[in-house]
Formats: sequence, C-alpha cells, structure tokens
Amino acid sequence: MTLFLQELVIGITTGAIYALIALGYTMVYGIIELINFAHGDVFMIGTFVCVTILGAFGITNSSSPPAGFALVGVLLVTLLGSMLFCAVLGVVIERVAYRPLRNAPRLAPLISAIGVSLILEDIGKLWKGINLVSFPQIFPQITYYIGPITISSVNILVIVVALVLMVALQWLVTRTRTGRAMRAVAQDREAAALMGVNVNRIIATTFFIGAALAGAASLIYGLQYGSTIFVLGFQLGLVAFTAAVLGGIGNLVGAMLGGVLIGVIEALASLIPDSVLPHGGAAWHVAVIFAILILILVFRPSGLLGQQTPEKV
Amino acid sequence: MPIANTLVPTRTLVPKRDIRMLLIKWIVGLLVPVAVFTFIWSGEAIINNALLSLLMPGSTTLNISIVIQVAIFILIFYATVIALAGYLVAADSGQRGMIELWIDIAVFVLLPLFLVISQGLIIGLALCAIIWPVYFFARRRVRQMRHYTPPPPLQNLNTLDAEQRANLMSRATLGGFWFSVALTVVWLVTDLIFYISGQLPTTLLIWVAIRTIVLPIAGYFLGRLGGAIALRRTLTQKNGANGENDTDGTGSSTSKRQLEALSTTRVREEAKDLVPNDLPLRSTGAQRFYLILVVAFVLFYPVIDPFLFGSGTDGRLAGYGDAGYYVILALGLNIVVGFAGLLDLGYVAFFAIGAYAWGIVGSTQLTNVLNLAPVNPHLLSWLFWPMIIVAALTAAFFGVLLGAPTLRLRGDYLAIVTLGFGEIVPIVFLELDKYTNGPNGIVGVQSPSFFGIDWSVVTPAPYYYLILALIAFTIFTNVRLRDSRLGRAWIAIREDEIAAASSGVNLVATKLFAFGTGAFFSGIAGAYHAAKLGGVSPDNFSFGDSVIYLAMVVIGGIGSIPGVIVGALAVYAINQFLLAQLDSLAADPSNPLFAIHNAIAHVFPGFTFGNVRNLIFGVILVVIMIFRPEGLIPSARRRRELHRTADEGAEVGSLDVAPGAPGFESEVRVE
Repeated sequence: MTLFLQELVIGITTGAIYALIALGYTMVYGIIELINFAHGDVFMIGTFVCVTILGAFGITNSSSPPAGFALVGVLLVTLLGSMLFCAVLGVVIERVAYRPLRNAPRLAPLISAIGVSLILEDIGKLWKGINLVSFPQIFPQITYYIGPITISSVNILVIVVALVLMVALQWLVTRTRTGRAMRAVAQDREAAALMGVNVNRIIATTFFIGAALAGAASLIYGLQYGSTIFVLGFQLGLVAFTAAVLGGIGNLVGAMLGGVLIGVIEALASLIPDSVLPHGGAAWHVAVIFAILILILVFRPSGLLGQQTPEKV
Repeated sequence: MPIANTLVPTRTLVPKRDIRMLLIKWIVGLLVPVAVFTFIWSGEAIINNALLSLLMPGSTTLNISIVIQVAIFILIFYATVIALAGYLVAADSGQRGMIELWIDIAVFVLLPLFLVISQGLIIGLALCAIIWPVYFFARRRVRQMRHYTPPPPLQNLNTLDAEQRANLMSRATLGGFWFSVALTVVWLVTDLIFYISGQLPTTLLIWVAIRTIVLPIAGYFLGRLGGAIALRRTLTQKNGANGENDTDGTGSSTSKRQLEALSTTRVREEAKDLVPNDLPLRSTGAQRFYLILVVAFVLFYPVIDPFLFGSGTDGRLAGYGDAGYYVILALGLNIVVGFAGLLDLGYVAFFAIGAYAWGIVGSTQLTNVLNLAPVNPHLLSWLFWPMIIVAALTAAFFGVLLGAPTLRLRGDYLAIVTLGFGEIVPIVFLELDKYTNGPNGIVGVQSPSFFGIDWSVVTPAPYYYLILALIAFTIFTNVRLRDSRLGRAWIAIREDEIAAASSGVNLVATKLFAFGTGAFFSGIAGAYHAAKLGGVSPDNFSFGDSVIYLAMVVIGGIGSIPGVIVGALAVYAINQFLLAQLDSLAADPSNPLFAIHNAIAHVFPGFTFGNVRNLIFGVILVVIMIFRPEGLIPSARRRRELHRTADEGAEVGSLDVAPGAPGFESEVRVE
C-alpha cells in the first residue's frame, strides 16, 4: 500500500508534466485538426533553452545554487524566457510549415509536422550534442513526510506550477475574448471568419499558447529529472499525445486528466513483478500505457471526456 | 488544330503543312532524349558490344546469354520509342505550344537522364523528386503571372467517324515514319563520323547499312501500331462506347445497355484523358508506352547495368534489393491509408511480425527453444516459400486483430490506437527474449533456395529478381483490389462512412479487410527482409519507421499506385543514398559541397553532414509538402477532387455569370 501511494505521488508529478505538454497537442488539434508531431520537440528545445539561460546566470551543476529572492528571480526569468522562446518557435513553425497547407489534403500537414520534428531534433543535436545534458538542480531538495510516503519540494513545485498554468489556461479559454474567438474558430472556421474573427491570428495565438506551455513544462521537467537529451521530445511527445487522446482530444480538462492518468499508469506499471511480465513492468511501461489506452478507447471511443458528437452528414 | 478541319488523307508519306509542325514538334521532342541516351550515355556501348559479339563470335569476352538479353532490350527500347512517336503525333491536337512541350521534355526526360548519368540511378531519381515539385510550383506561378488558360479539350474527338479515324491513322503513320527517318539519319551521320575517326570496326558497317534500310520501314508499321493504340479507346459514332465496355457487362442485354448508357458519360469524361487531347504525353495511351519502357529497363537491368554505370554492379543491385521491400510496404500501407482512408501510424508492427515469423523459423531459434535437433539448413531454406505465405497470413491475422477494437473509432483516435499497437509489438518482441533473443536480435536466418537457384550466394541478382517478382505480385493484387467491389467499398468509406453504410457497404468487414490486406503485404516484406539481411534486428521497428512509410505514401500521392511506388523509391533514395553520401561527396575538393561544408564547419566546429541528415530530410519533407501537397503523382480521383475545390473557390462569383455561359453551367451540373 505504501509503495502504491508512493508511486501515485510520482505518477501525479510526471502526469502534471505530461498534461502540460498534452495541452499543446489538444489545443492545436482542437483548432486545426492536426497532430502536431513537432510539439514534443519544441518541448525538448525548451529544456535546452532553460539550460542555456541558467548557464547565462552562471549556474551550473557545480556552482552553489542561489537562495531566497535571487532563486525566485532566476526561476521566473528562466520560466518566462523558455516560454517566450518556445512560443515564438511554435508560431514560426505554424507560419512556415502549416499555414501554406491549411487547405491541402489532410495528411500533408501531418508529414510536414514530422519533417519539422526531424529538423528540430537535429538542431537540438547540433546545439547540445548527442549525450545527456545535465540540468542544474537549483531548487532546494527538501523532503516532506506524510505518514509513510515522501514528497519532495520539487514535486510540489511541479504540481503547483502545472496547476497554476492549467487554471490560467482554462480562464483564458473560457473567460476572455481571445478564448471565445479560439473556440469559435475550432467550431467553424468560416463562420468565425464571417463574424470578424481573424482566423490566422487566432490559430497563431493557439500555437503561441500551446508552445508556451511546453516551454513551462520544460523547466519543471528539468527540475524534476535533472537531465535532458535531444531525443527526449519524440518519446515524451508520443506519451503526451496519447494523454491528449485518452482524455478526449480537443478537450482541455481531458488533456489534464489524461496526462495525470498516464503518469499514474506508468508509475504503477513498474510495480508489476517479473513473474507476470519478463524483465518486470518497467520495461513494459509503454506497452502497458498503450494497452490500457486501447482498452479505454474500445469502451469510450472519443476518450474519457470527449464528446460523442454525431457525425455531420 | 481540330482534326475535322484537316484534309482527307491520301496515301502519301509527304506531310501537309499543319502536320509538318506536329512532326517537328515531336521528332525534336523525342529525338533529343533518345540521342542523349544513345550517344552521350553508354547506350552506344551496349549496342556495339552486343552487335560485335553477335557478328564476330569469339572476339569478345562477353557471355552470350548477356548479349542476347541486351539485344532484346535494345530492340524493345527502339520499337517502343518509334511507336510512341506515332501515337503522339496522332494524339496531338496541336493546341499546345512547341516551346512548352520542349521545356517539359527537358525537365522530365533530359534532366533525369543527365542526373542519372552523373549521379547514378537512385540518387538521380531522388534529386528529380526534389526538383520536380519546385518546377511545378514555378510553372504554376509563371502561368498565373501570364494569365495562362489551358487549351480546352477538344469536343469532337470523343466521337470519330471513319474519315477522322483514317486521318488519325495517317498522322500516326507519318509520325512513326519520319521519326525513324530522322533517327536513322542522325545515327548514320554519327556512325560515319566514328568510322572515319577509326573508332568503329568495319564489320559494324554491315549493321549500319541494314539499319538505314530497315528502320524507316519498321517506323512506318510501328507508327501505325501507335495510331491503332491512340484510336483504341475513342468512341465511334455508331455504338457509343467502343472497347471500354468490352470487359464488363456480362449481365442480360437490357441491363448491359442500361449500363452502357450510364457509363457513356463517364467514358466521355475519361476519354478526355485517354484519347487525343491537348496533353498527349500524359494520356493513358502514352503511359502504356512508358510502362513498357520501364518494365523492359527493370527486367534487363542487371545485364545492362555494367554498360551504363561501369563497375560495382553487385553493390548497386543489393541496394535495389533493399529498396524493393519499401515499395511493398508502401503499397500495403496505401491500401489502409490511401484506399480505405484509415490513418495507420503503427504499420511497422506487421513488418516486425513478418520478419520475426521467418526469423524464428528460418534460424536455429525455434528448434533451440523447443529442444529439438536443428533442421537441415538445406531443407530449411526450402521452407522459405511456404513460410513467406504463413508470415503474411500471420501479419494479416494481427491486422484484423488490431482492426477489431478500432471499428468504432474515427479519425485520429484510430491513428493513436494503431500507433499504440506499433509500440506494443516491438516491445513484446524485445522483451520475450526467450524466443526472439531480445535486443541482440536473431542471427543466422536462412536465405531461400529454389531448384538450383541459391539466394545465399554472393551475387545479389537472385534477390533482385525475387523482390521484382514480389513487387509485381503486390502491384497486380493492388490494382485488382482497387478496381474490385471491395476496393470501391474502401474508397466509399474513405469518402463518407455514413453514405457508404447507407448504400449497403458492410463497414465492419470492409475495414477489417483493409487492415488485413495491408498487413498481409507488410508480412511478405518482413519475411523477405529477414531472409535478405540474414537476421532480424529489433532496431528496425520503431515508430520512426512507421512514419517514414507514411511519408512514402503521402509524398508519392496517397491512393495512387504509381505514385506510391515512386514515393517509396524517392524517400528511400533520399534517405539511404543521397544523404548517406553527402559526407563522402563533401570530402572531394572538386565538389561544390566541399566549399559549403567548409563554410559551415567554420561556424560549427566538427560539423558533418551525417549529423544533420534528419534535418535535411525534414526540410525536404516540408518543402515537398508545401510545393506539392497532393503528392508527386496524385491519383486521378484526387486530382479531380482538387480541381473541383478550385472550382468551388469561384462559386460566389459564379452567381454573376450569365445563363448559358460555361461558369453558369458548372454550378448546376449533377455528378
């Protein structure tokens, strides 16, 4: 039971990061029905940006971390810098690779997205090399004990940051003018255009926000795991996309739920003993995630929170 | 120039003035590439070698069977080109400008020839696949700038009376005759120059003389053959559709007549593509000729390769043997994605199943696990033939198994389930190391053998022909499936699932068949791959591979069989040959890449092209998609769809069009 609860904490922390990335997938999908394969790699570039910004402050793994207000300042600057960089990158990608294909056959932007993903991956490789890049652990590691389970301060930071951003996004989408325009474009692009919505700008904004969330996720990922690598984006992006689908693609709350659920499933999968699956559950965790995903989709074909929309005729 | 206006043909070989323009247009257009092939490339060497050893046996070291094969190839090549000349002259309406045609021929025939000569076959074609979309894009821009309107298709060509048919035939005859005369003259002059300069053995003058007499006569008849092909699918005035409906309509005569009445409009529509129109080079008739040329080239490739590219034939053939199974994979995926419209992101799973099926049975793996005595390797290699079918059926079974839970899913939910399956299967193979040897893979997989032909020997030609046979089987099955009832059901559910279900298409069976058939072909490719590699490595079955297969299908032209073949070869060539060779090319100081490499390495120390392979590949993917989103060779249906969307763009304005104007009509047309 203790083990279970402990894994649950790990799962929720990981899941919060997945959820932040999944939001980018689900927003883009909701608005232009494109699986943005490049999104995971934007996240990967974000982790590199964080390392670079921290390096600019003179912070590496060997230097002593700042404390107090200096720490908060450094973290905020890194967070905002990474978010801004990723957001601009996302908008540029949309402008160059997806907008010319707005009216093309459905699979053309998908291939274009895969192309962008390959490009970003190689840029990451050129930038930081092919080995693991260590991420400075500047946030003080304090371990709290709640009964038998432990929670570190980083875990709490990750969950708090993710929650704040998700709430902010929810507010943005449901309460603001831009959010209403986004929902309008998602529902019917032409009608929205007729109502005076600048469709191109709204789509660009969607990419901006989605990529900014990936930028935020990259900082908390780095703080949580302490290292990054250029192939990270592809694997993590795949899992995050799965999370988005699990929750019901196009649905923001669904993406959050899906992210946390996937994180928990992944953590719990490592508890499966060797006797059930050879080499233990950890080696199979991707397979377990997808098997559960397939099972869920069989019973809820539009994801957990997705609307079962009647097909338009 | 409409046919009806030309004069009644007389049995003379001297062309009238209007025909003369057509003749110049096509003779120049076709003669230039043929001359490049014959005189600049090593076509001349092939001919002379073949002839010398035929005329003077013993004077050469060439194998007689190779000489005969080469001679047959040459014969097919020239006969096809001359007949093509006749066809094109007959099929040309004269509405398309000469310059435009020559530019097109330069880009689509001469450029590939030059690239293939200088860069080798696969790399040359890959470069073409990059250059062509850019050309299309530029041409569209230029046309928009010049307010170009394509010439309207001819109205009167669909129904021909006897006089017009005779007229067409005479044009074809003239085309074939004069083309071969021009060819003969050019060839004669060149050979005489060679003879005077002492490079041509005197013996060969016999051949020169024979050729000068025989070729024009052959040209006359081959031209008539081309004309007959041009006429085959035209409608005659008497009985509506002629030739087109020969094959179908086995029912009662009433229903047959009804069918004919219904299909006449369709035949007329299609006839615009098939029969003489303003784009004869792209008509179906012309494509038959290209097909003959390509098939002849591919079939005789192993014997003509050393003449064309010099030494290193074995290495190249082995490379093509590898490229081949990508074609099968892409064609199989095309059934699922292109025909049935079910996005499959985990296709590599079935490839893995096929590869492991033969990998486990064809090595000592299975007997080791079951604690049996190892099977005699000689017997084992025979097992390949039944096992390739078993592997394919196993893959198909899992395809259906995967299809079952996805039946209720739509669009990208389906994609993610297939993706999940594609992730699960390799993990299962990786972790069940008792059977699959885990991350080390399986080694020592037997290659097939067949009555004295042994695939395990060093020469790669058997694999070349094996994959050729498998590809031929795949293409044949795909074409037949596409045109079958099942294939039409696939296309129906791709276009609109609900409408298809309402029309009586069984969605469950149709979708499961699509998954099963698609998987079947990747099972074949998998078994072949395991045999050719002599082992199975778990690294070949990642999500990235699935994505590459999808890129092949989309880049080639989704749903189009020739497009998918070209796409598979182009993507494979770009990825495996072109990008892999950039570094060795950059190491050569005479190459322009050398300077580029140095400039970049100045900024990024330690830069190699190998490091940015994916980056370049990604850029190529994006560029091809932006310039040609429908793929390199889109299917006819998709081309029509895109055409229609272009029409729809003008819909608002078409309200202003006066009744009776063409735009007005298009709005009320019922499909």
